[in-house]
Amino acid sequence: MTGIIQIVLSPLIAFVVGVLFLGLARKIIARVHRRYGPPIYQPVIDVVRMMSQRSISHGALFELGVVLALAGSLVTVMLIPLGGTEAFQPFAHSVLCPLSSSGGLLVVMYLMLFGPLGLALGAGASANPNASIGVSRKMLLALAYEVPFLLVILAVMSQYGSISLTEIVARQQQASWGVLSVPLSAVAAFLILPAMLGIRPFDLVTAPQEIASGPLAEYGGTCLALITVQKAIHLFVVIALFVDLFLGGGVNLATFLVKMLAVFLAVEMINAVLPRVKIEDAIKFCWKWPTALAFVQMTITVLSK
Amino acid sequence: MSPQAILITAFAGAGLVFLAGKVHSHLRDFLAVLSSLALVGLIAWSHGQYGPDNEIVYVPDFLGMELALRLNPLAWFFAIYIAIINAASVVFSLSYMKGKEKLGFYYSMMLLVNAGMLGIVLSGDFLSFYIFWEIMSWSTYLLISYRRGPALHAGMKYIIMSLVGSCAMLVGILSLYAQFGTLQIAELGEAIAGSSSGYVLFILMAMGIAFGVKFAILPLHTWMPDAHSEAVSPFSAVLSGVLVRMGMYGFLLVMYSIVGLKTILNLGAGFFNFHYILSWLGAITIVIPTFIALLQNDAKKLLAWHGIGQGGYMILGMAFGTSLGVAGGIFHTINHGSYIALLFLVVGAVEYRTGGVRDLNRLGGLIQRMPVAFFGCLVGIMGLIGMPLTNGFVSKWFIYKTLITEGHPFLAFMAFVGTWGTILSVYKLLHNMFLGQLPEKYKEVRKAPISMQIPILFFCFVIFLFGVLPGIPLRAIQGIQDTMGFAPLQLTMWGLASGAGALNMLNICFAIVIAFAVVLLLMRLGAKPRRVPQEDSYAAGSSVPAGKYHHSVEFYNPLYQMISPYLKDRVDQFYYWAADKAQGVFELTRRIYTGYAGTYVLYIISFLALLIFLQLAWEIW
Repeated sequence: MTGIIQIVLSPLIAFVVGVLFLGLARKIIARVHRRYGPPIYQPVIDVVRMMSQRSISHGALFELGVVLALAGSLVTVMLIPLGGTEAFQPFAHSVLCPLSSSGGLLVVMYLMLFGPLGLALGAGASANPNASIGVSRKMLLALAYEVPFLLVILAVMSQYGSISLTEIVARQQQASWGVLSVPLSAVAAFLILPAMLGIRPFDLVTAPQEIASGPLAEYGGTCLALITVQKAIHLFVVIALFVDLFLGGGVNLATFLVKMLAVFLAVEMINAVLPRVKIEDAIKFCWKWPTALAFVQMTITVLSK
Repeated sequence: MSPQAILITAFAGAGLVFLAGKVHSHLRDFLAVLSSLALVGLIAWSHGQYGPDNEIVYVPDFLGMELALRLNPLAWFFAIYIAIINAASVVFSLSYMKGKEKLGFYYSMMLLVNAGMLGIVLSGDFLSFYIFWEIMSWSTYLLISYRRGPALHAGMKYIIMSLVGSCAMLVGILSLYAQFGTLQIAELGEAIAGSSSGYVLFILMAMGIAFGVKFAILPLHTWMPDAHSEAVSPFSAVLSGVLVRMGMYGFLLVMYSIVGLKTILNLGAGFFNFHYILSWLGAITIVIPTFIALLQNDAKKLLAWHGIGQGGYMILGMAFGTSLGVAGGIFHTINHGSYIALLFLVVGAVEYRTGGVRDLNRLGGLIQRMPVAFFGCLVGIMGLIGMPLTNGFVSKWFIYKTLITEGHPFLAFMAFVGTWGTILSVYKLLHNMFLGQLPEKYKEVRKAPISMQIPILFFCFVIFLFGVLPGIPLRAIQGIQDTMGFAPLQLTMWGLASGAGALNMLNICFAIVIAFAVVLLLMRLGAKPRRVPQEDSYAAGSSVPAGKYHHSVEFYNPLYQMISPYLKDRVDQFYYWAADKAQGVFELTRRIYTGYAGTYVLYIISFLALLIFLQLAWEIW
């Protein structure tokens, strides 16, 4: 029974928190730019409005791509522990992670591919060259940030000797957080967070002024609403993963969300002030500092074991 | 069913098809399909019939040796895998090869390659093994050079490298016979247990060169891209799907059936351990070919480089010698067979309908015209990447988990980077063939014929079946591992059951299906979109010309410019350089033979003079 509640609950939390984060992002950027900004629930209004608008479709794959992307993101959420602890503590509940014994971190990494792949397929089904350029950039950017990200993940998995995310979180709660035991990996992961989220300075995939929002160029109405939801859930997944890997998860949902908010605010500050870079420079950046830091940390971790 | 009956059917089928080709084309096609399907049936029927009843000595006294056949779990597993992929390719050939010349020869060679491979896995001694190995190698050579022209060069490159491997294998076999006086595989296992580690290493090296050439491990891989781009597509499926993996069978046989697990793990000292070095070769075989594949524009060359790269995962899994790793390696072998065969067949179908085009820069938008081929391509690339729900995911998960829990994150990193490089190049394959704008000249392309759709859909089914219920093949693999003395894994029908490191594909499958259904429902709740033609797309007010704006050439240009200087195939260049120099040496040698009797007399006299001088100077005799 608790299993079913968890399966319903964890995507729902991801949806609500993710959408609110999207609204918060607009508000933060507006304030940094000395504007007032839209209300924090603006994305909710947008999604509801878009659901009611009639748009165009370029065929079955055009729509199914979006469905695949969103479904993949929803399943990813179920594999990520959203706070909770195995040991008894006051104000704590058991681990909120419905699919905790279904393959662990390795499955999370692969499930995170469904989002980009689904959008790429959908965008490819339209004949818009802008969409193809955007997809090409997305693939390159993914390769760029995955190289340091894989090193980071491997360093964490070696440090805690496990491929299970719940176990990694439990070990951190017993001893010290990941940010202290694998500090360089944490720095590297933070440096590539904007690239993983597709925000400035790495928002070149959906650059509106250059390639008409890239893969999203042809989308409108219901499909665009679902893509917005996918974006929100992806945002949630990436930041939740960062909290689980380096900030020790949370003993309950509330502390987990507070930690997520802290990470999110830090990333949005970068988003608010930096301009967009070219894809070549994005690859060079990702393969230089984050990769070097993550590599050094992995070497240290392996040697100290 | 005895192994003899399987082999007789295989060879008789090859012969009969050749004869039938002289009589009538329909009879030939019918016989080819019948005999390849009959083999699948025969092998499936012989499942579980292992033991002394199925060991047959078919030549009792060949120069004092027995030539024997036998059936055991390892042999059965590889036999069924060979037979199924070959049967699918023969069915696919029916329309693909229609109207080409020398078809009787083609079909009979396809069946002969099949018979040779079945012979290899059913051999009970190394002499039969060698004979069937050569039958396979030479019929492969004939099939690669089937199309003549540049194919002859590719075939020559293949056969020269293959012969080098065969020579190495022969040296190994002769040495085994000289040492132990027997070539029976079962007896060799006991005999070799007492020999020195230096000798075991020598045997492994000699055999390893032969298997490495077939397996296309770096740096013995250079024949493969050329062979693939010249071979016909159904044969490419067999070549990359199973034939290359005979090297894997060889490695498993020699490393774990003969030499044995304990000896393998203690071979060498510290860092220079045999299985450790083999793992690093595997890791390099993953990374470099995968990124070379990224630069290819020929669909089949791209897949051929991936065929090399994926082999690295099998080596990585197998070399580690843990239950999980070896199971992953063997499982990855058949998984790779299913999706690479599928992808070659899809490329073949596109080639067939577009008049032989497989240049990725000249295709596009075929999804509307060839939906089944598109679906096959999508499933195939998902398998190749190893997305969850496909079989490739489960075997890669096994291999990654082995690498991480055994404490080799650097090897794991190379395996991961290989996978993420794969995503880029296979998406390019899918996008440039099927997505984007449909060029004007392909407006009339029709969908693939039914005899092509059946094998494509069959492989799609297998990929998903083994992806969601990996227990089916893993039980058979468990049987193989029992005979090799590995600790049993805690298998279930849907993956692996062991606490925190468990894998449950059925759960993931249910979660994805339910999430898919929920999202689909959400989409139905929203306003229904209006269907518009593909060309009706947004271009900031100006119109997009139809059929001209397909972004495919230099799809990953920023990355190409960064990585291409580092990714020249220097090994291939080195071999060409060596061949060139060798030719120079041969030319010099040829000059010695002038053809004049006087010169030869001069040689003899000077040789005698040398002998006399040696005797006078040092008094050797």
